[in-house]
Amino acid sequence: MNYLKTKTLAFGNFFTTANYKVILSMFIMGFGQLIYKQVVKGLIFFAIQAGLIVFFVFRGAADIAGFFTLGTAAGNPAQGIHGDNSILMLTMGLFAIILLMMYLFAYVTNIKDVYLTQLRVEKGSPPLKFKEEAKEYIDKKFYKTILFLPILFVSVFSIIPIVFMILLAFTNFTGDTFPALADWTGFASFRELFGQGGLAPIFFRVLLWNIIWAIITTAINYFGGLGLALLYNKKCVKGKVIWRLFPMLAFAVPGFITLIAFRFLFSDAGPILWPINQERLLDPYSYPISFLGIDATWSARIIGILVAAWLSIPSSMLLATGILSNMNKELYEAAKIDGATGFRQFTKITLPFVIFATTPVIIMQFIGNFNNFGIFFFLRHGTFSMIGDVPYSDTDLLVNWIFRLTVDARRYDLGAAVSLLMFIATSAIALFIYLRSPAYRKEDTFR
Amino acid sequence: MQSQNQNIQKRLPLKIILVIFLVLVHLGTLIGIIAVIGANSHTILGPGREIFTGELERGARIRILENDTAILQGFLDEVIEAFNAEFASYDIMAVDANQDNFIDLEQAGPFGFGPCVIFQANDRLMRFADGGHIFPLPIERLDAYEYISNEAWNAFFGFVDEIIVDDNGYPVIGEDGQPLRQEIPATLGVPVMIQGPVIYYRRSLVPEGTLDTWGNIYQFNRERNAMGGATRGYIRSLIDPYFNMGYLFSFGGYIFGENNTDPSTVGLSQNNAYRGVGVIRQLASSMDSRVTTHELTPLLYDLLAQGTVAATMTTPDVYTLFIDAFMRNGFTREEAIAELGVAPMPFLPECGDLTNPNPNLIPTIMMGGVNGYAISAWTDYPNAAFAFVNFATSFRLMERRHELLGIVPSREDVAEHVGGMSQIINEKLASGEILVMPGIREMAQVWNPVQSFFASVSQDAFRSFPRYANPSGQLAALVTLDSAITRAIAAIS
Repeated sequence: MNYLKTKTLAFGNFFTTANYKVILSMFIMGFGQLIYKQVVKGLIFFAIQAGLIVFFVFRGAADIAGFFTLGTAAGNPAQGIHGDNSILMLTMGLFAIILLMMYLFAYVTNIKDVYLTQLRVEKGSPPLKFKEEAKEYIDKKFYKTILFLPILFVSVFSIIPIVFMILLAFTNFTGDTFPALADWTGFASFRELFGQGGLAPIFFRVLLWNIIWAIITTAINYFGGLGLALLYNKKCVKGKVIWRLFPMLAFAVPGFITLIAFRFLFSDAGPILWPINQERLLDPYSYPISFLGIDATWSARIIGILVAAWLSIPSSMLLATGILSNMNKELYEAAKIDGATGFRQFTKITLPFVIFATTPVIIMQFIGNFNNFGIFFFLRHGTFSMIGDVPYSDTDLLVNWIFRLTVDARRYDLGAAVSLLMFIATSAIALFIYLRSPAYRKEDTFR
Repeated sequence: MQSQNQNIQKRLPLKIILVIFLVLVHLGTLIGIIAVIGANSHTILGPGREIFTGELERGARIRILENDTAILQGFLDEVIEAFNAEFASYDIMAVDANQDNFIDLEQAGPFGFGPCVIFQANDRLMRFADGGHIFPLPIERLDAYEYISNEAWNAFFGFVDEIIVDDNGYPVIGEDGQPLRQEIPATLGVPVMIQGPVIYYRRSLVPEGTLDTWGNIYQFNRERNAMGGATRGYIRSLIDPYFNMGYLFSFGGYIFGENNTDPSTVGLSQNNAYRGVGVIRQLASSMDSRVTTHELTPLLYDLLAQGTVAATMTTPDVYTLFIDAFMRNGFTREEAIAELGVAPMPFLPECGDLTNPNPNLIPTIMMGGVNGYAISAWTDYPNAAFAFVNFATSFRLMERRHELLGIVPSREDVAEHVGGMSQIINEKLASGEILVMPGIREMAQVWNPVQSFFASVSQDAFRSFPRYANPSGQLAALVTLDSAITRAIAAIS
């Protein structure tokens, strides 16, 4: 703590005490370190600055300029004339900006480093050698070493695609790639979504169903799993291992195979409806029943909810079984002595404990269900109506609708805009639930 | 102490100014580099090149994308082997591109992993032409040129947007700073096979004359349904736009105006097209609710072979898949060939009512297509690729393709030579009873609304409160469909 305080105070005096070596490092990275005879470190910083300048001269500058224009000249591959590729320019521009930000971080680190060396020397200690500093990174600062790669990977494979998707929402990209050019269109996609005569009615209809779906499936999956776990924990149940194995089998089969099987099961040609409809076909006064057909709404939705339960309850059950094995049996003994009924024991002892331990899992399940693409993609793929100029189905979740908007209707801009809204909504809901949960508010309760 | 503090206070603003100065220098340098290099680097267009010089690229490795059936039946291997032997002296080698049959060249080409020669339907290939992803071809240099009908060539004919270049091949830049462009007529693909729906049927199950009219088929279906169980007469999914838009065309509907070249006019509701909606409803009612989805389509080969279904409709290029299905179900090849019948489209009643016992009959105009080869603009070996196309469209190989796959060859001399359905389909293309799928980009916005519409119409036969039972409902639905397509086109243009 003292060290931090000293460090803060030291930086407060930076402007008054920085010497010429620090100033030199501000012009040319690593120069001050070189004067302090920290050769390796100095060269690394210098290489970073030189590398950035070389990168910018040869392509970085063009990439950033391209990021703003998204291309100005359409070429013609058939004539061998290369033009601009908007999406490539957007991607490369984004990379260049990220590199620039990383450079700025390295630049500030460089100045901080040389200034700390100056302070150290002024106190009479010699500048740290490269080996000594490197040693620190596998000792005191090991957390930085170990976190470097994960942070880099998260940035490259998670943050960049999200930023790319967000940026796409502000263009008019329709899937027509090179040599067609895209442009920045500001909030046009959002205006089309929510403006007069826009897609807002469909968006809100899908959103409402999406929220209902996420709440119902999360609740059924969670309490279904917990119920099964409690049941299998009962002493009176014989052959627990075998009973636990059954839900595990459902969990073990790949999800999409289960979904295809369910689609067949409930389809018009499936074993449930086929015999019924065969009879009805010969009767001129009756009509065939369809669970998943174009006119089906709630029958398809209910089937979707049941299929989601089939797929998810086993994992919830496993989780709950693990948590229940950690329960303090004495609590129940005490509750029994106090005359608490089984239901009261469940609501006052079991449930708070399990919910406390599994809130993050519930949030994950909620978000997973909110974004559950597979269920209705496999159950009702190809079944949709057209509302306006976009395809839509009663069972579409937002993620399914985005798929239709992009792949079927080629409206990548609208798809990106809806994705952005979804991202904001799920993040907000997850944060809200977490902050209201006992796991956050009563962190110390079960310690 | 006081003087030291004064000194510090004097130095402080100086150093702050210095830091601000340094930050500005850095930012200024970067912005300067961006301004100088960035502003110019993306607008300079290089020179174009002469493509089909006739000079074969030695050492070329050309990737061939063929259709799945041709690969499965071994036709591609045969062609590649023969081509490689023929061009071994040039060290040119063709290989299977080993990619998805429906690969999107727009997406794959610019990133270098598309095929050199691509075999797809005309509507898909012509979409690639729009962005310059396939080359305009010097078709008159092909050996097959004069043997392919104008109707088949027309499927690949279009106007391509070209950049005007100067004598050195550099683009001529206009006053707005953009390269000047011109539209030039070009042919962008080489027809190989004609696609048009045909009826496949079991000779022993379908009485003579049944397949002459859709009215007869309707009655036949009723009789087969009455046998109970899963037995059906003619059956096929009614939601596939490719196979069902013909019911609208036959009564005067069309997709785009100006012979399917003007997307500003959508005319599926025009003339008496609503009668086609009625036909679809009646046909659906004579089959079963499986026709409202795609789930029946992959089963049809075996259902026909098993005799559960007596007739169905699909394209000529899957003939061998039916034969395979018959053989899976206990037939010998000879028995399968003898039992499997192929018939042209039945006639429709002019009134659109399949229950009318004595109607005036009109031909069924169906949507068709021409599948062919195009050469990717992203290949490094256009001349070797052109040589491959020329080789694969020779009489010998077209005949072999027909023999192995049962396709309808686009070469009239081959069609005449093999006769039968090949000749009939070629004649139907020439007479306009097969309408070639529009090859313009906007066609991509047609499939979804039309499929959705057909799903609803075919489902209507099974609704207790039907929506399209009378002409006014049918016409209103078609008008809505037209406007949905128009809006979908406007949204991406």
